[in-house]
This record gives sequence, structure tokens and C-alpha cells, in this order.
Amino acid sequence: MIRKREVAKRVFSFEFSRSTHQIQGDGVVKYLLTPLGERLNRVFIVGVLLEKEEIGADTNFWRLRVSDPTGSFYATVGKFQPEALEIIGDLNVPELVAIVGKPRVFEGVSRKLISLRPENIAVVDLAVRDYWVLETARRTLERIEAMEKRENEDAKLAWQIYNPDLNEYIEVVKKALMSVKEDVEVMEKIEEPERAEEEEEFDFTGFEFEEEEFDLSDLLEE
Amino acid sequence: MSRAEKLTDQILEKLKNSDVRVKREDILKRMRLLVEEFKVPESEAVKTIMNYLVKEYGVPREELFERESPLVKISEIVKPNQWISLKAKVVQLWDSNSPNVSQVGLIGDETGIIKFVIWAKAGMNEVEEGKSYLFKNVVTDSFQGRMQVNIGRTSKIVEISEEINLPPREMEIIGAIVSFQQNSGLIKRCNICKRVLSKGLCHEHGKVEGYDDLRVKAVLDDGLNSYEIILNEENIKELVGMSLEDAIRIAQENLDRNSVLSELKQRLLGRYFAVKGIRGGRYLLVRDISFHKPESKDFEELLEALV
Repeated sequence: MIRKREVAKRVFSFEFSRSTHQIQGDGVVKYLLTPLGERLNRVFIVGVLLEKEEIGADTNFWRLRVSDPTGSFYATVGKFQPEALEIIGDLNVPELVAIVGKPRVFEGVSRKLISLRPENIAVVDLAVRDYWVLETARRTLERIEAMEKRENEDAKLAWQIYNPDLNEYIEVVKKALMSVKEDVEVMEKIEEPERAEEEEEFDFTGFEFEEEEFDLSDLLEE
Repeated sequence: MSRAEKLTDQILEKLKNSDVRVKREDILKRMRLLVEEFKVPESEAVKTIMNYLVKEYGVPREELFERESPLVKISEIVKPNQWISLKAKVVQLWDSNSPNVSQVGLIGDETGIIKFVIWAKAGMNEVEEGKSYLFKNVVTDSFQGRMQVNIGRTSKIVEISEEINLPPREMEIIGAIVSFQQNSGLIKRCNICKRVLSKGLCHEHGKVEGYDDLRVKAVLDDGLNSYEIILNEENIKELVGMSLEDAIRIAQENLDRNSVLSELKQRLLGRYFAVKGIRGGRYLLVRDISFHKPESKDFEELLEALV
């Protein structure tokens, strides 16, 4: 039987990159438990692509570094992520991207490194980033509340493993909201007058002139 | 009339339409023996005699055992393996990927929508989108954790003229398109049955010329749930200004039908949408869809709550 599709959770990089504990779900599914007690199997993150690097020459294995307003994380794309690989050549640095992917834990000698395996990557605009920050802030605050109330088993487990400083997370959410709110306000101001001018916009398509039409040599002769 | 006689006549009533002739005395004798002499429960007696008729007289099994399944509403379907009848409207037809499936899609009544499957071996006439039918003797089933109804050989589909309304309560979801599914973009459909062709072939009708269609099958995810949605040509035109003619032109210019898909992915994947529609299981029937972006007051409200 095919399982129900895993929902793409919204987490800030700050919370994501601090997640190290894996939980075995039903069957073969693995989840990554975040410090705020969220189970991740698939995430949706919007951020700026800061670095894009092919690991070795012509390996078609790529390492990306992406940052949202709260911090950065790594993502790796290889042949097992065909849809993400398809677009990788078109990505520029820096550029705003939305990534859907699965978290992976690499066990280093001294610590664990969390990265993302993108299933899909899309170049997006600021509106997507803005809504993502708003939505992710909401979800994060809900998780903080569940942690305060020790509402569920995952919250209790997260306390046990991470013992997070909730105030720190609240500050991170606040900062992210503030930084984006300013942008949204500026955009709203810009768009207001634009709407009024819309009618005066002139359509230049279909006005392609050839060089010859501007031959003014006969004027010179006069 | 005795109970045995009544039960006998009920069985004979079921045989009325078949060409098998059975003597009333024969059945009655058996019935009396079982019910009056041996005190077998009536239902067991009827079942035993019907089994006997199937074996001895070659009466088609379906004819005898066909029950009038209770007429239910879609919201009442909660358990698998129940025989039911439904009055419902076909709201969306999908492509069946299996030669065993004749048609698959969503049907709805005023209480909800549900997935249906018409098996090829059922030999039914095809249903049409937007038309209403009485689905008799269909069986409920649970697939991937969701309820559906299966229409098989013993089912009946009768078109009805009464208007069936879909649930009045639409929901609005703001979510991101996180994945495109197969058979999105510029596709070809069979001229006869509208199924999507794979490598120029129709499952049912083999090699056909086919006709072009534009659509997107995608997964919309709001972080709490994921929904499968289908965007038709009209939705796509409204969102990105690409019509079927535009898509055909793009494919011709690039000598590649996949360039339409790439273009649509570039403009839809990872974006947020406000979608109004009716939910049925993991499917969301799109009534209205538009790009979504937040307003500064959304941020203010959230920040105020934090202070």
C-alpha cells in the first residue's frame, strides 16, 4: 500500500539546521525531529541561493548554500534528484529560490551536519519569500506554544533532547518578520501609484523599425 | 399464505427475468423442510435454496444475489466493503493508467465528493463529466487510507435527469505548488475516449491521431495538508496567460512539446496560490485559483501578538 504523501513542513533555517535527532516512523519512513518538536520528512523553504558549486569536475553533483532571514543551510543535488538537477544549470547566484526537499543527516566526527536533498527547485519572486516568512513564522509560533504547554509526545521528546531556549526562537521569528515587513510596505507604496498610471502605459510591441527607415541622408543633401 | 410460501415467491420473483424455469413446488418443498421441519433461520434457508438453484439450474449467481443496496449520501461512506447505491454527479474524470480500469475520477452529491473507479471488466457505458447518475450496487473501498467506491460487474449505472448540487461549502486554501505530476503540460488525448495518450498510444484504442490539450496536475501544499489539484486550460490561461494555441506555438518554435512543461514549471512551481474549491479526500476540486501574496497588515497582526 502506498502511504499518504508527506506534507512539506515550514521551518526557518535556524530551527532546521539545529535538528539532529532522527525518529523511525511507521515502516521505512524516517523523520527529523526539530528542537521545537516538529517532525520533518519533507520541507518547503524559500531563501537566497548564495553558493552553487559542482563537487569535482563534471560529476553533476552539486552543493548549494541557501539562506533565509534566519541563517543558512546546505543542499546537495545529484542524479537521484532529476527534477532539481534539470534546473540547476539555470540557477544564478545570488537568486531567490523555493526548494522542496528531504532532510538528510550526515554524521561527522564531532558533530552532525543537516542538509537538504531538493526534489524541486524554482526561481521565485519576493512575494513568495514574503508569504513564506509569514507562514513559517505562524507555524513556528504554534510550535513554541505547543512546547510551552508540553502538548504532545514530540514536544516532550524535543525538550528532553534539545532543551531549547524558547525566547531565542521568539526573537528569531520577530527579526525575520520585521525584516520582511519593511519590504512588503515599500512594495505596497510602489504599487499604489503604479495602478493609477496603468492606463497611460504604451505598448511598444509590434513597433520594430528597420535601420533603413532612419536613413536621413536626403536631409543632409538639402 | 405461510412463511415458506412467501419466501418461495420472493425467490421466484428474482427469477422472473431469467429464462430459467423452476417448478414452484420444488422450491416450496425444500423451503418447508428447512423452515418448518428443521427450524433453520429464514435467511439461511433462502441462501441454501439459492445456492441450490445456482448449482442445479445454472441460474446466474448475480441475478439471485443482487441486492437492492441502500441509497446513501457520500458523507455516510466511512467503512470499506459496504454495498451501497448513490445518486451523484460526475465532477471530474481522470486518466486511467491501467487497462483494468475503464474510468476513474470524482463524483459528488450535496454532502461531499469521493473517488470512483469503474473496472474495465464491469463492461459499463462510459459516464460523462457534468452528468448525474444513479450508481446502483457499488462497493465501498479504502485505498491509500481514503474511501472510494468501486463499480464492478454487478453494479448498474443509470443516468438521471434530476439536478444534483455539490456541497455548498467551498474551502479556501493558501498553499504552494510543490510538485508537478506526470502528464502535465501539452498533452495529447484520444479522439474517441479522451484518455491521455502515452507514446502516441491509447490504452483502449491503440494508435490514434489524438488531439492537443493543456493542463497541469500538481500537488498543492499548505504545510498542514497536501492536495492534488488539476488546472485546466482556462485556469492556466488566467494564471500565466498561456492558451492552448500559445502552448502549441511554443512547442513548435522549440521543436519540443516538453518546452511547454518547462515554461509552466518556471512560472507555477514554488509559488503560492489562493485556491477556492471543494475537498474530497486528498483531492481539491479547483473552482477558482489566483496567485497569493501577503499584505503588511498580516505582519503587523502577528508582530502585535508577540509583544
